[in-house]
Amino acid sequence: MAEEAVVKNLEEAKPKPSSRRSSRRTTARKPKKDQTLQGLVLLALVIAFGIYLATISAIIGFFWLTGIAFGFILRRTNFCFTASMRDPIMSGSTSLTRAVLIALAITSIGFIAVQYGASLKGLPIPGMGFVVPISFATVAGAFLFGIGMVLAGGCASGTLMRIGEGFGMQMLSIVFFIIGSFWAARDMGWWTLNFISNGPRIHLPEVFGWTGAIAVQLVFIAVLYILADKWENRNQEN
Amino acid sequence: MAEYELDCLGEACPIPLVKTENRMKELAVGDTLIVIIDHSCALKNVPEWARKNNHTVEVEETGDSEWEIFIDKSA
Repeated sequence: MAEEAVVKNLEEAKPKPSSRRSSRRTTARKPKKDQTLQGLVLLALVIAFGIYLATISAIIGFFWLTGIAFGFILRRTNFCFTASMRDPIMSGSTSLTRAVLIALAITSIGFIAVQYGASLKGLPIPGMGFVVPISFATVAGAFLFGIGMVLAGGCASGTLMRIGEGFGMQMLSIVFFIIGSFWAARDMGWWTLNFISNGPRIHLPEVFGWTGAIAVQLVFIAVLYILADKWENRNQEN
Repeated sequence: MAEYELDCLGEACPIPLVKTENRMKELAVGDTLIVIIDHSCALKNVPEWARKNNHTVEVEETGDSEWEIFIDKSA
């Protein structure tokens, strides 16, 4: 209880820039729940379950850790793939777009390091199963996914994160996300046969060499970053 | 120097932003709009939009995953 009082005093001591939210706001507001205990219990459970998973399989334990870390980062930073694509048009803000570009650049370097390392040792290059053919199906699918994620208020990761946050509407989103995914999986064979497999499979290192591939990738991301930065500043002048 | 509230609880991003933009047009200079949100995404784009339009913005977390964004219309 003593701690709570200290926190309260600290909050009251914060400089108030104006008088407007002096009385009305602080009285009308419902008191914030202290969830420190629940948080600590949950953290202990997360660690315990992580250790349990690690005894079954190290990789599942690792997935548990990275998944939790990913969710935590998404939540605390408001990192959102939907907003990164939508905000440049809706509000003229490209801060998240640039954040996604930086993330892509870092991931590219990591991926190419892993793949190059494997090729140096003469091992099969990991991740080649994900080098899928590109075609107009990619463009059409991306466009549909874009419409869907803006209407639903989140992509897959964003939707999951906001369910954890307790946002009710997103629980409805995930139900239809799952229905849609099942439906897509059911028809995937037909699409692959008739559209997707006609496209070329492009693995940049095979086209440009390892150095060339990472250079092309990073230059492309840099150009997008500069364009995003220009777009943001163009709006500020208006 | 009136104060208005805009309740966006339960509304997914970008609805709070659109509602804020429309509501801010109706306000007079010097008025304050309090946008109440619980979608963390709006926590980012509403203040960003407001700052870009030279309004003064303050954000306060009022509950668990609930925020109030104070926007002073200044232009």
